Amino acid sequence: MKRETITFMLNSIGDEYIGETEVFRPYSVQGSPERTDHMKKRRIITLLLAAVLMLALGITAYAVWNIHTERQQQLKSDLKIEENNVTSYTEYDVPEEQEGGLVLLSSVNDGQVQHVYVNISPVTKEEAARFPADGSFAWSIAGTEIGGFAAPQLPVELSLSGEEAIRDAVMENAYDEESQTMTLQCYIDVKFLEKAAAELGTEAVPLQVHLIAGENTARSFGPVSLSLTEKQSRHFDFGHAVYHDEELDKDIEIVGLELTPFSAVWKVRYEGAAAFHTPEADWEAYQPWSMLEDKVCIEAKLVFPDGSAFSTSGAMTCPYEDGVVKLNCAWGSAINIEDVQKIILGDLVLWENK
Amino acid sequence: MTDTEIIGLFFERSEQAITELDKKHGSAVARVARNILGNEQDTEECVNDTYLGIWNAIPPHRPSPLRTFVCRIARNLATKKYHSNTAAIRNSQYDLALDELEEVLSNGDSVEERYEAKELGTAINGFLATLNPSDRFLFMRRYWYSDPVKDIAEMAHSTTNSVTVRLFRIREKLRLYLEKEGLLV
Repeated sequence: MKRETITFMLNSIGDEYIGETEVFRPYSVQGSPERTDHMKKRRIITLLLAAVLMLALGITAYAVWNIHTERQQQLKSDLKIEENNVTSYTEYDVPEEQEGGLVLLSSVNDGQVQHVYVNISPVTKEEAARFPADGSFAWSIAGTEIGGFAAPQLPVELSLSGEEAIRDAVMENAYDEESQTMTLQCYIDVKFLEKAAAELGTEAVPLQVHLIAGENTARSFGPVSLSLTEKQSRHFDFGHAVYHDEELDKDIEIVGLELTPFSAVWKVRYEGAAAFHTPEADWEAYQPWSMLEDKVCIEAKLVFPDGSAFSTSGAMTCPYEDGVVKLNCAWGSAINIEDVQKIILGDLVLWENK
Repeated sequence: MTDTEIIGLFFERSEQAITELDKKHGSAVARVARNILGNEQDTEECVNDTYLGIWNAIPPHRPSPLRTFVCRIARNLATKKYHSNTAAIRNSQYDLALDELEEVLSNGDSVEERYEAKELGTAINGFLATLNPSDRFLFMRRYWYSDPVKDIAEMAHSTTNSVTVRLFRIREKLRLYLEKEGLLV
């Protein structure tokens, strides 16, 4: 294909994809009627608690407390924590009288990343509206050089296109004008959290969150004390299961699967794997193996008691470590890892609950 | 100023429209042009041509979202300039991105003489619909926005090595998709 033809093809890409990819949004999962029902029940419980607290607290303090608890329940529902018996989840006590600053809501450990959900306040409407064009958020561990990226937390079923749409969604869903509170998700690599704890010599580390709005505004919130949420995982050992791909005429050994409610690590071995996972790799020779790696992640099915099946989807990263290629996959809402009954790839049964 | 207000200025034929457009979307437009053309002089010309194009297009158009519309015009103008003067503008990010795609899509015999332009447009959009959001982000940032891999890795909170490997997989998927659609043999 000529370069002009490739250019023509790229110029034909639809507006929805151009707008969607202005900002990185790794997860996009469709909502379900089941989720809506669950949310309704949660809302009723929250309203009952609210009535009691409105009598005990002033209206402003109530508005702040209410946004903390409401967001906690929304997150728990979105992540499908209860229905899938997720234990790698921490829900923090919400302070009843703290009117501003940084408040921890909840966090999940997906095996590699601890997703920490927080509220920060006060954030003015003008500051909030500067995201994503001219504003951003970040987290750091006080007393260390460790830090990273945070973003407004939006409902997972939203599909957005364009900066304005993202800003509107943030204002509607992540920002609460009454309490001047913004709900954020901090993406904290578990290794960073462990490193910070080792550097500071404590188990709990001081988390700070930063708001950057335009060139002249930068504010920090916190610190609050954050610990590692315990990982929940299930390991499947496939012995020396070998999958033969007839089309490619190649064999790949599927050694095992490390499964968490939000992620999976497929461990595979094949001829020459170590050399293919270096920057100097021979891409042409790697092609068929790359396709086979994809097949394992995408076509293997985790089968549940009701007969439904789940695919871990394509790998986000694929490092070669400890003599195996680790295919790291992740998704947005939890699955029940204890419910897996069978793992299959084509006709090959990798594991079965007997 | 909101996009609607900027579009309103274009409809009023107020030159302030260009100033406001530049203030709000100028950096995004320049980035698209710079990544393709690789030098400041051509970039500046392309940005000015883009604003002229927008001035002529609004009215009658009332684009939404405005930024996508503006970036698309900038990209079309920049790629036209790129192909008319390739020798002078080698080593731009777009050049590297095209090299990567050409390497995969030139394998085997092309049937491009036989297919129609419309089919290619439909195919690339169909292919993007098969990708998960993360992979779509990587593909679009590398091949539509022509961003350097290092920048994409930062945006996606990943490493350059990981992004390189994932882009390689996506290109391979594209080749297979186009083969399946009969656009590559």
